[in-house]
Amino acid sequence: MAYLSVEGLVKRYGDAKIIDSLNISVNVQETMVVMGPSGCGKTTLLLMILGAIKADEGEIIINDRVVNDLPIEERGIGYVPQDFGLFPHLTVSENIGFGLRIRTFPEAEKSRIIDSLLETVDLKGMSERKPRQLSGGQKQRVALARALAIGPSLLLLDEPLSSVDEATKEHVRRGLKDTLTQTKVTAVCVVHDPEDAFVLGDRIAVMHGGRIIQCDTPNHLLKAPNDNVVRKLIASMYVLGRDGSIRNSQ
Amino acid sequence: MLVSLFYLYVAVGQSLSQVLAALFDSRVLGALTISVASAFLVGGLAVAIGVPVAYFMAFNEFRGKETLEMLLIDMPQTFPPVTEGLVYLLMLGHFGLAYTFPAVIIAKFYVSAPFTLSFLTRRFRELKGDGYDVIARSLGARTRHVLNWVMIPLSARDLLGGFSLTWARAMGELAATLVFAGAIPWQTEIIPTLVFLTSRNAPAVAMAASVIAETLSLVALFSFRLFARGRKWLT
Repeated sequence: MAYLSVEGLVKRYGDAKIIDSLNISVNVQETMVVMGPSGCGKTTLLLMILGAIKADEGEIIINDRVVNDLPIEERGIGYVPQDFGLFPHLTVSENIGFGLRIRTFPEAEKSRIIDSLLETVDLKGMSERKPRQLSGGQKQRVALARALAIGPSLLLLDEPLSSVDEATKEHVRRGLKDTLTQTKVTAVCVVHDPEDAFVLGDRIAVMHGGRIIQCDTPNHLLKAPNDNVVRKLIASMYVLGRDGSIRNSQ
Repeated sequence: MLVSLFYLYVAVGQSLSQVLAALFDSRVLGALTISVASAFLVGGLAVAIGVPVAYFMAFNEFRGKETLEMLLIDMPQTFPPVTEGLVYLLMLGHFGLAYTFPAVIIAKFYVSAPFTLSFLTRRFRELKGDGYDVIARSLGARTRHVLNWVMIPLSARDLLGGFSLTWARAMGELAATLVFAGAIPWQTEIIPTLVFLTSRNAPAVAMAASVIAETLSLVALFSFRLFARGRKWLT
């Protein structure tokens, strides 16, 4: 059952169509990865679902409700931006508790939720640190915990691994996948790295020129790419091992 | 600037006993009180009005925005204050405001508040560019939360820097205040008007007032530099 549906979405900047009659639907508890080259409109799509950018045409439907005119703060969507956007003047626990403070949760309840999330994202003992004292991977996990703290109906992640250094990327990626599985939140994740897409996504939507050109499970996408762009994208980055494993060709 | 400052302190040194006596002159103390009190009031008003106006300017797109910004920020800093004083006198004099303490505030506010407004508008635009408002709103924040919990704390040094420059500019304002508020001791007379009126007949008084004005300006300048550089303890 589709929890999020985007139907006929269009966004123009001047004469250029950044998003061109785009359709996509995401099922309940599914992680949909939107993959594509830089400038294909992935982040614009994400910000339109979030409500930060208005659609020129089309509908965004969340849980059977058209949300086009709903302000960001009323959509109940968790958002993890590309650079994580942690509030630099707040500690880790204050960042995570930001949304709970707005909702005037009782202090004990707030502390319980923050502690539980710190454990989920493996950051126990770091609650009093400021963002400048954290590594890229730790910042990503705080941003994820902050977005999850409000109990979002939908989670949007914009290039969640792009600011993480290569040495820890595999570990952080696996941690992110585990958290998404564990919390069972419906998520849309934008990435440009196919490796991230194949690890994180239950389904992958390949975006090109403002449209979704193929949307399928990772296995299906590998075995039956239906467009040259998809074929080239996968072929350029990966080879399929004899045992069926995906290996980076580079 | 440094030469004139040095010259002033040397000149004061040469007539130290007269200047020291003038420092405790009732008229000098009155002018100092009115100057400092009005400058703090103007600084406070600039922050109170500047924060919502800067937020509005940074987060809204509308026709005529550039013109409005020019009117609020550029015009007060480039137009002659003496003509503004005259305009206030003609426009507000009928309401009994001329030659009163509120007239001092109005005259100073016009030329001084743009510093705070321009600092805050620039900073709010930077923070908007970093996406902090969108992130806060995604967590459920309304405008008051975005402003009080994100924008203002992250603009603390710009706010204090703008305040200190506004304060310094308000301390030095002469022309508009003289025309609109006059120079009534212990009511509307401020340090700059006192220097202007006594420079010929009572140079020791003028020098004492100048030393106060210059010293306070230096304090404001160093405060501004401190706020501009001191980031860690503010964030």
